[in-house]
Amino acid sequence: MSRQIDRRAFLRRGAAGAVALAVGPGLLAACSTDEPRPDHKPGPGSSPRSGGTLRAAFVGGGASETLDFFNGPSALDLVRARAWHGTLGNLDPSGPDGVRYGVLEGIDISDDLSAYTLHVRPGVRFTDGSELTSADILHSLGALAARSKLPVYRLAAANFDLARAKADGDLKVVLPTLRPIADGRMILCQGNFLVVKDGTRNFRKGMPSCGPFRLTEFTAGQGAAFERYDDHYGHVPLLDGLELRSIADSTARAGALTSGEIDFAHDLSPVTARTLAGDAKVELVPTKSPYLVGLSFQMNMSVKPFDDPRVREAFKLAVDREAMVRTVFYGNAEVGNDLPSIGFPDYAESLPQRAHDPKRARELLREAGADGMKVRLTTGPETPGMVEMATLFVEDLKKVGVQASVRELPPGQLYADFPAYAALPLAGSYQMPIPALSIYQMNTAGGSPSAFGWKESATDALVAKARAESDRARAKKLGTQAQRTRWEKGNQVLPVFKPNLNAQATRVDGIQDDLFEQFPGFSRASLA
Amino acid sequence: MSLLAFVVRRLAGAAVLLVLLSAAVFAATAVLPGDAVSAVAGVDASEAQRAAVRAELGLDRPAAERYADWAAGAVRGDLGRGFVGERPVTDVLATRLPNSLLLAGLTLAVTAPLAVLLGLWTGLRGGGADRLVSTSAQILAAVPEFVLAALLVAVLAVWLEVLPRVSVIPLGGTPLDVPRALVLPVLTLSAVGLAVATRLLRVSVSDAAATPYCEAARLNGVRGVRLAVRHILPNAAGPAVQALTLTTGALVGSAVVVENVFDYPGIGRELQLAVAARDIPMVQGIATALVAVLLAVLLLGDICARLLGAGEGHRR
Repeated sequence: MSRQIDRRAFLRRGAAGAVALAVGPGLLAACSTDEPRPDHKPGPGSSPRSGGTLRAAFVGGGASETLDFFNGPSALDLVRARAWHGTLGNLDPSGPDGVRYGVLEGIDISDDLSAYTLHVRPGVRFTDGSELTSADILHSLGALAARSKLPVYRLAAANFDLARAKADGDLKVVLPTLRPIADGRMILCQGNFLVVKDGTRNFRKGMPSCGPFRLTEFTAGQGAAFERYDDHYGHVPLLDGLELRSIADSTARAGALTSGEIDFAHDLSPVTARTLAGDAKVELVPTKSPYLVGLSFQMNMSVKPFDDPRVREAFKLAVDREAMVRTVFYGNAEVGNDLPSIGFPDYAESLPQRAHDPKRARELLREAGADGMKVRLTTGPETPGMVEMATLFVEDLKKVGVQASVRELPPGQLYADFPAYAALPLAGSYQMPIPALSIYQMNTAGGSPSAFGWKESATDALVAKARAESDRARAKKLGTQAQRTRWEKGNQVLPVFKPNLNAQATRVDGIQDDLFEQFPGFSRASLA
Repeated sequence: MSLLAFVVRRLAGAAVLLVLLSAAVFAATAVLPGDAVSAVAGVDASEAQRAAVRAELGLDRPAAERYADWAAGAVRGDLGRGFVGERPVTDVLATRLPNSLLLAGLTLAVTAPLAVLLGLWTGLRGGGADRLVSTSAQILAAVPEFVLAALLVAVLAVWLEVLPRVSVIPLGGTPLDVPRALVLPVLTLSAVGLAVATRLLRVSVSDAAATPYCEAARLNGVRGVRLAVRHILPNAAGPAVQALTLTTGALVGSAVVVENVFDYPGIGRELQLAVAARDIPMVQGIATALVAVLLAVLLLGDICARLLGAGEGHRR
């Protein structure tokens, strides 16, 4: 431990030196007065300081973890990869295409929406000095991502023919779509599409890459250490170094943060986050829309009485959404409107917010002959808050005369037997932040098992049409129409969107500027 | 029977047990709801994708055939590769098992002398002290490990801030680089072990004290430390070693819980991760290794007890 403290103190001294050199004698004079500064954050207008090593903790894997993020399922895998490798781009509502490009300069879409042209940013260099070309993009997309079994890459594979991607010269890649889509930039530039050097098969320490940091140390199941890559394209990180640690337990992550062993803790449980509220040394930095996780209940339309739209509506009206936000998340969440993907450009925000109307719910159940019905809600602790939400939902249902009960599965069970999950009459689940229409087309259209009996070819067609429309206003209208049908007749109750409850030491700044704050790459973070 | 014959016979027995138990573990993973497909293919994979993954992992073959393949490899020292990350199981064992053995070793080093002292004290004195220690031990033994861990954390890490909350070990280092991080896990495990061992030892000590030989010694005026060291301990040593051996066995289960609470990079945490992911080769490899360790400990305990027992001439 003392060794660590020494090194930390040393780094801090180094950082102070760097700052002094950067801002000149004025600050040196200020420092020499030895006055403790009450606020360590750079004020508005002042530029963030450079230097220091930021230590952050995430849920990672065990000793069988590898550096291959195309096959790595944990949060830490993606964060580590984002620090290490180049990104196609991130979502950025202020950007002209709604994205901020990384190793690309831009993406053109053919008039018939059948092919996307990716323009490589010239002059992006790997750490071995070689220049990034279309061959590297092709290898990353066609050879590595196309074979990945992870949902993030399946979303791309469900929309693009990754295997048929072709280079057009050194700086262009042509990527055919599987069906005409106009919203593909949003899928490719979600911050999780990463680029490595052509021919990369074995991911190992010391291999060349082009992310903001260079990997210097990796211990499976424990973490990784990085140093800044000074020739990083665009924006060179302010930090000298980065240490990513694997700490599985939420309270343990919070404990490591308050005791100063780490500077950033990812994804805390609502209760743990609340215990940090009174601690002056740390601050909560929840993710913002669209990086919110939807917490939902799926009603199985192949099971009676959920085949009756009145019963489904009654269940949606019975939920006291505000109470869930208040009690489960201590106010740190947003009310949902029974549709996923809030905050994405294709989300139907114009639909009215569904009311809490237990009286009407009771009437509807009576009309459908389902008053006094019995139902068991199955869920598990797959994400913080899910079980608590289910408990409240069951109470709400009892108030409208449903004999409801909760069955809580142990961790890791809910999705382990997927066919059994998809056959449940009522299941508590969650949705990752993914654009609304693409996730519909991938997971709900065509009677997919995860659709829980929703089979509406007219809506499927509408979604396909909306996505194949390059006129944005018209696309939005069609997309909203499709989501209205889901909202009115659908089988999903989605009462709450919760942020990833992250927390950081007060001396940390700029993590959110990395844009993909759900899984930050720390390229713009700084330490005061 | 000579010691050698005894060891050989016990080794053969242990080998048979190991085979039976590894088959039982395999059967248990086979009946767990769900398989590795969801972990590997992703929650929302289509049926076709799931089938492809199942075939790729060999999960479409009969369980008995898979077990035979695995066992054939295991005999050659090849425990296969995990489904998740595809790292050789033996690699994972090599990096994690030593950390757990360190934890167990330290725990035993704390527990054994303390348990002997407390066992002697309560077994010989009886009365109020005995009732106090025995009741405390009983309560301690009944408290789940994670509750105990939480209490220790609340006091020593959160309130007094003298120990780290989690075992954050420097990258590329071992737990020995941060001795402070070992204190809370060892303390938790020791408390559990001590509770169990003290109660077992108390019984052997009072049994030994009730032997006619000790009775005679006492009547001859042998008292206190001399009685304990010269007469009680030699008689109680055999059963005491067996008690400690059993305690060590119980520690394996506690270690899984404690390693998870403190995020300690041991084999117990790996086992938990592997079960959650339905990573069958990993679960199988780790569980079998743990069974092997356990059998080795039991065998060692029996040998020690026998060696000690051979000297207990006074009793016979």
